[in-house]
Amino acid sequence: MTVTATLPQVSEVFATKHGCVQQDDAQRRWLVEFAGRTASFDHRNLMKLRKAVYAIDIEQRLLEGAHGPDVEIIFICASEHCYVLSLLQVIAIKDLLEGAFVMLELNQIIHNRLYRAYA
Amino acid sequence: MKDLLRIKSLISTEIESLLNQQVKKEAHSSSIYLSMASWCNRNGYDYSSEYFFKQAEEERQHQLKFYKYILDMGGNAISPDVTDIKQEYNSFREVFEEALDQEISVTRSISNIYARCLSTQDFVTMEFLNWFLKEQREEEYKARRALELFEVIGEEGTGRWQIDKHVGGIKYDSEA
Ligand SMILES: [Fe+2]
Ligand SMILES: [Fe+2]
Repeated sequence: MTVTATLPQVSEVFATKHGCVQQDDAQRRWLVEFAGRTASFDHRNLMKLRKAVYAIDIEQRLLEGAHGPDVEIIFICASEHCYVLSLLQVIAIKDLLEGAFVMLELNQIIHNRLYRAYA
Repeated sequence: MKDLLRIKSLISTEIESLLNQQVKKEAHSSSIYLSMASWCNRNGYDYSSEYFFKQAEEERQHQLKFYKYILDMGGNAISPDVTDIKQEYNSFREVFEEALDQEISVTRSISNIYARCLSTQDFVTMEFLNWFLKEQREEEYKARRALELFEVIGEEGTGRWQIDKHVGGIKYDSEA
């Protein structure tokens, strides 16, 4: 009997004081630590999360002030995750995701460069 | 850290969003041509109307080519909103002037994507775009040729009737 144990290959992508995004190479997933819990996203759902967060018009929400709703519900289709966030938390998660995607794109650039250097 | 984004998609998020913009542009072109077909038909230019119906169909095919490419490469193709389509024209000639403007702007935007592909070394998308560059050669040629008819035939007398008839026969067959 062979036992294949998958070693956790988790590396930090980006962190702020409100949360952190980690990448799990073996599972090909991302772990988003935010609002007191850790949620795991595959590529498709991470893109959906990003789209949902970026689509929130923060300025508009601020202008609405007391008249508007104080919470934002981020529901991601076909994913078990749902966030109910205050406006400040929305700003914080947007910050986190923006940083994470910059790092992921940077990682891509590094991979491309390394490959070219060896090729 | 593995490059997981690359595993999921061949194209970068930047190129993906440029290609989605192009999907929208092609959809927009298709709608403009459809509106031109309507105007020409309503004003008695049946051959030109037919010509624009065909152009509208071609633009729709261009839109789908981009759309499917984005999906095939692992990206997210976005079905575009098409708004602000001009429905009325001041003259028969104006229709063709705007058709050429439209094609020139499409050539520009494809060249722009090509330039971004080159600087990010996305040779796969460049190769995909080659077909469109060649297509734009034909599209601009046809639009220019139509306008040329206004010069060589002239709009006086039965001129516009003659121009309309000849628009139906515009073809581009370069071997190069
Ligand atoms: Fe086109
Ligand atoms: Fe065209």
